[in-house]
Amino acid sequence: MSKPNLLELHNISKSFGALTALSNLSFHIGEGEVVGLLGDNGAGKSTTVNLISGIHKPSDGYLTVDGKRTLFTCRSDSADAGIETIYQHTALVDSLSITRNIFMGRELTDRFGFLKQAEMREIAMEVLKNAVHIAGIDSPDTLVGNLSGGQKQAVAIARAVYFKKRVLLLDEPTSALSVRETEALLNQVLKLKAENVSSVLVTHNLYHAYQVCDRFVIMSHGTKVFDVEKADTTVGQLTEYVVLS
Amino acid sequence: MTPILAESAAPRSRTQKQSILKQIMGKPAGAIFLVFMTLQIVCIVGALLYPDDFRYLSPQNLTILMKAIPVLGCLALGAGVLMISGEFDLSIGSVYTFTAILMASLVNLGISAFIAAPIGILAGVMIGLLNGQITLRFGLPSFIVTLGGLLFWRGAVLLYNGAVQVRFDPEAAFSSLFSGSLFGINAAFIWIILLVAAFHLLLHSHRFGNHVFATGGNRGAAEAIGINTGRVKLIGFAIAGGMAAVAGILATTRVGSVQPGQGAGLELQAIAACVIGGLSLRGGRGSIIGIFLGVLLIHTITDVLLLLRAPGFYLDMFIATLIVLAAIFNHLIERRGLA
Repeated sequence: MSKPNLLELHNISKSFGALTALSNLSFHIGEGEVVGLLGDNGAGKSTTVNLISGIHKPSDGYLTVDGKRTLFTCRSDSADAGIETIYQHTALVDSLSITRNIFMGRELTDRFGFLKQAEMREIAMEVLKNAVHIAGIDSPDTLVGNLSGGQKQAVAIARAVYFKKRVLLLDEPTSALSVRETEALLNQVLKLKAENVSSVLVTHNLYHAYQVCDRFVIMSHGTKVFDVEKADTTVGQLTEYVVLS
Repeated sequence: MTPILAESAAPRSRTQKQSILKQIMGKPAGAIFLVFMTLQIVCIVGALLYPDDFRYLSPQNLTILMKAIPVLGCLALGAGVLMISGEFDLSIGSVYTFTAILMASLVNLGISAFIAAPIGILAGVMIGLLNGQITLRFGLPSFIVTLGGLLFWRGAVLLYNGAVQVRFDPEAAFSSLFSGSLFGINAAFIWIILLVAAFHLLLHSHRFGNHVFATGGNRGAAEAIGINTGRVKLIGFAIAGGMAAVAGILATTRVGSVQPGQGAGLELQAIAACVIGGLSLRGGRGSIIGIFLGVLLIHTITDVLLLLRAPGFYLDMFIATLIVLAAIFNHLIERRGLA
């Protein structure tokens, strides 16, 4: 038997009271694969992201990680499984430095809990320089509040890279970015793919998705309507599915 | 003095000068530091020029300052840490009085002050935890919950003790530990310096401090990353209550008695010191040095006005102006993203 997929969703349904947000949704994410999760507003993309990151629990169905059935009950469960969610409004603290944000909640400390500041700074500098190339940042001591939207996302990605995450969930990552920043972000996704890190790109923008994704999952009304490899489709066909379904 | 003046007067490129100023301003509490140093220089020069009329440097005046600063300092340190985590405690003035009376009564019953004082601190911590539990459990604004605390514990003092003062007569060792002096420096002042150093380490060099800033700065983000923000805030409340009790110990040992009405208004002064020191009312921003400079500034200005024989009634107007100016200034800095 071949190696199990990194992450699989099996017949997942989710309802909030009388409202059914997801019904019978199944798809998978392979190792080092970039999957575009597409669909119009209200298709259930955000619910899916929240489900994979552990914020929502499925009403029915289940997830598997490396073929093993798992239940995420909170964010830290998914984080432990190697999943990092990067939100539109990234989960960073503006009043803290880049270094402190990268290590937030996972600080390097001595046994009394005092921060190893020099060490963290050095690692942050290393990550910023090599793993994630962020233009226009000269120091890891810069406060995150002073960064642009793209730079903030890069810091969030740097955090994921340093902590060796296996899947990045990018929720509308390009919506607030300039053209140049978008380009940098998409390159980053490809670079991570080369290092075998998978990404799920949740987006409206089919062109951005088409540039980097290996496969596309199109959702409509809480369920999957199309699942196709890049080689077997075109932007035109994807658009048709998103608009018409 | 002269070489410094000569150096600053020497021609220097505009950008270089700007960058030094900007560097200081960019540091946490940099702006308040500049204001404080300017005031000190003016006062010291004034005192040297007119030693008879402006007795700023006289030993008596310095002693008064050193005795007055620690009480507000303790209250502001506790209130400040809590404020950075995004909550307020308006009850600290009342808790300060209540725990002091508790301690003094225990000593009057014959219990050693070395046991009574920790009991007082413990009581402060418990009241802080209670404030925190109510705030967090019911998702209420801490402003309202601790406003309730302010009235409740003020009333509790009167219920327990009536409106009479309580004498505090601890053993000599206790008195000299908290109100004696070492090399001419007041013991309470040494305590506050030690506490400032300890709080600085805790907030800026310890994991807990990082979590306090994260909790106040972006609670959602802190929780997403796995920080237990409820616990961080609860510890903040406990620290605020405990430090109110410590302030009570310092004040009571110095004066030798507790007045039931003595804490009224101190909670607002403590918050004022924090705001002057650059703390954001929304949480997530500030520094321990800033808080301490805020306390020093309030006391220095009060002191200067008294030395200049300004009528006591008007002192509050100056402090009020200072607070509002500081708030405007901090707001501008926040918006420009300088600090």
